[in-house]
Amino acid sequence: MSNDDTTRRRFLRTAGSATAAVALAGCSSDSDQPDQTEEQSDTTGDSSGNGAGNGGDAEGTFSVGVTMGQMDSGLDPQDHAETNTEIIVGQAYEGLMDRDKEGGIIESLATDWERVEPGVARFTLRDNVTFHSGDSLTAEDVAYSIRRIVFEDVDISSPQANDLGAVSEVEAGDGEVTVIFDGLNPIVFQLFATNGEIMQQSWIEENDSDFINRNTNGTGPFQLSNYDSGNQVTFETYEDYWGEKAEVDEVTLSASGESSTRVNRLLAEESDIVTNVPPQEVSRVEGSDVASINAVPSTRVIFLQMRYDVEPFSSQQFRQAMNYAVDVEGIIENVLNGFGSITGQPTLEAFTGYNPDVDPYPYDPDEAERLVEESGHAGVEITLQTPIGRYLKDVEIAQAAASQIDSLSNVSCELEQREFSSLVQDITTGNIEDKPHFNLLGWGNGEFDASQTIIPLLASNGALTVLENDEVDALMEEAQNESDLEKREAILREANQLLHDLAPWVFMHQQFSVYGVSNGIEWQPRNDEFIDVDTVSSK
Amino acid sequence: MSFGQFAIKRVLQGVGVVWGVVTVVFALRFVTPGSAINAVAPLDADQETRRAIAAELGLDQPLYVQYGQYIFDLLQGDMGFSYIRGQAVTSLVFSKVPATVELAVAATVVAIILSIPLGVLSATRRNQPIDYGATLFSLGGISTPNFWLGIMMILVLAVEFGIFHTSGRGVNVGDVVLSLVGTEPFLDTLLSWLSYITLPAIALGTYFTALITRLTRSGMLDELSKPYVKATRAKGLPETLVRYKHALRNTLIPVITVLGLQLGTLIGGAVITEAVFSWPGLGTLVIHSINLRDWPVLQGSLIVIGTSFVLVNIVVDMIYAYLDPRVAYD
Repeated sequence: MSNDDTTRRRFLRTAGSATAAVALAGCSSDSDQPDQTEEQSDTTGDSSGNGAGNGGDAEGTFSVGVTMGQMDSGLDPQDHAETNTEIIVGQAYEGLMDRDKEGGIIESLATDWERVEPGVARFTLRDNVTFHSGDSLTAEDVAYSIRRIVFEDVDISSPQANDLGAVSEVEAGDGEVTVIFDGLNPIVFQLFATNGEIMQQSWIEENDSDFINRNTNGTGPFQLSNYDSGNQVTFETYEDYWGEKAEVDEVTLSASGESSTRVNRLLAEESDIVTNVPPQEVSRVEGSDVASINAVPSTRVIFLQMRYDVEPFSSQQFRQAMNYAVDVEGIIENVLNGFGSITGQPTLEAFTGYNPDVDPYPYDPDEAERLVEESGHAGVEITLQTPIGRYLKDVEIAQAAASQIDSLSNVSCELEQREFSSLVQDITTGNIEDKPHFNLLGWGNGEFDASQTIIPLLASNGALTVLENDEVDALMEEAQNESDLEKREAILREANQLLHDLAPWVFMHQQFSVYGVSNGIEWQPRNDEFIDVDTVSSK
Repeated sequence: MSFGQFAIKRVLQGVGVVWGVVTVVFALRFVTPGSAINAVAPLDADQETRRAIAAELGLDQPLYVQYGQYIFDLLQGDMGFSYIRGQAVTSLVFSKVPATVELAVAATVVAIILSIPLGVLSATRRNQPIDYGATLFSLGGISTPNFWLGIMMILVLAVEFGIFHTSGRGVNVGDVVLSLVGTEPFLDTLLSWLSYITLPAIALGTYFTALITRLTRSGMLDELSKPYVKATRAKGLPETLVRYKHALRNTLIPVITVLGLQLGTLIGGAVITEAVFSWPGLGTLVIHSINLRDWPVLQGSLIVIGTSFVLVNIVVDMIYAYLDPRVAYD
């Protein structure tokens, strides 16, 4: 008995020690610190926490912490199609052209660009640009990067394949690169100002996808110092950057899906910039003495799609009636706390092709009821489908809209909430016959050009279209083949007027990007949702 | 049945359960709505681009081929490749395991430190204020959702008083150990570690603490009423020895069993706590992968969580069988 006891006790003691040792050993090796990064950087990593927090530390380093809703999906700048990843990789990678905070086109790796002939664009490259590896940027690197994006047989099938237009050939010259398109590509420079980050050819060829997605080698103002996948990414200033050196020495980007956690991080001074502060948290930030709210109109438009080929939405009067039935300004005020602006056409203000003469539909339930009667669909029952949690307050917005439509005396409207991936499965089916009849959707247009909304969403061959209209198609065809920019803008304005009248959408609002920003820093947000940490300064 | 046979039987059962987990997790991809292609392709991608991406990801293969390939790769330790992140799943998932284990162990430690003394005190001072207090605490702990408790603690102790970090995992227990031999000051590192882990550990461990307190209390009361305790008292042993050497030791056997099983639950059940505290463990990875529709990573994470649960169960069963041979003979 006594021996048994001793053995069991010893066993338990040994097992306990072993468990503790395994736990300690396991925990100490927790990092995705990439090999090359360790070599590249002298930074010892983040031993003091993952939020940089308010203007630096005791050693005089100016560190900035950014907390987003979601982390990156890998660091390959050409193998993703979403904003959070772009914010992260965009600290290290650059394109040939760039945009200022309002969306205007500015220089980046190219100092000059011209349309040599219809369908041919030439970019003159900046001298003395180096990748973070230390190697110089060459025209071959630029040409390879463009090919990697647009051609399926070059390394990857990039989800950005259509983002640069229909490229047929890319030629590297002496300090310049020529891109040849199928057709005119009238917005080539708008496309290149938003898309097409440049990578080093030899670096891509020497490394596998796993490595490229855990490391960076760009030409941007910051270089990677620590990558902890799904947790946080830290960048430090790239000393040999060709442009103006950023005031910020170190940037830490992390994420929390919980909006309250993001706000808590800001208020506890663990983070300097937090994204997507929801309306209900705004007063908490504004009421604090450490941070404030900074909101800007984004490039995203929210709308209710109506399929043109099914009753009752096949009637233009009925579609217009739905526009009169929804009190968009009331929704912006009450659901979004004022963070939104009403729209009346697919194109947002300040975009190429926006028609300033088009007014949004006013809220007029009487007119809505009259139009419903006129359409011959009085008494109809419809269902609005909405994604859950995809866009800011999407369900609440859809609830309000459906309720307002339902309050018409001659229409009853129900709401169906759907998981986004399920809804998007129907929306992207390719056949208009399989698409939902009436649904809420949002669309971001980073190119600031009307065509990039109208063609995919409202032209007959658009991937997400709910409308087939010869007049719209003809106008867009004309616009895409018009090299005179003024004439093209006039065509796009006409298309926007036409689409307002055709009312294939209930035109809702332009979504705002709402940031919480520490009072310790000076930073102005951008329209295109990118966070340009290199423009942050301390107060 | 000998202990060895019992062990082999349990391991084989475990393998069967893990295979079941793998199959169910694999099937989930096909019964849940939404295509993985939509997670990779932009919304306005044309059908040709979608087909090209599907082919690159192997999603155009028949289901049985995909399943067979998946099992074949899994047996070689390859959980696949995340087409969203462009990274190998195995290394990605296992890089998150330490954070989750650290949190689960810390929650367990919090639970053990608080619950066993509280349970013993509660039992030995039955119907006294401390017993009522412990009972109230247990009821509160069992009925309080851990995400609510977490948010409240963050608001009060992190945002209002700034004692702890609101979220994240800046320093891990390995850093603390290394600071003993390295250049970082040990005390600072320890305090920094505590400032990150304390709140999530309490949030995760509170339910567990309450449960073990109740278990210890009832176990102690049961043991203290048994004849052998009367015999030890009759022999004149001091009350301290009677309680702690005899009654408590016997009480701890079921407590250890529950502790082991709960550790498995904590690894899988930390998802919400990890989300509230942005703790970079498996739970956060699971949520992130669901949001991204990153099926390979989600599958890998669920398989690791399921397998660890099965492993912990097997180990607990075997320890129990070893400590109480009657279990193996049944």
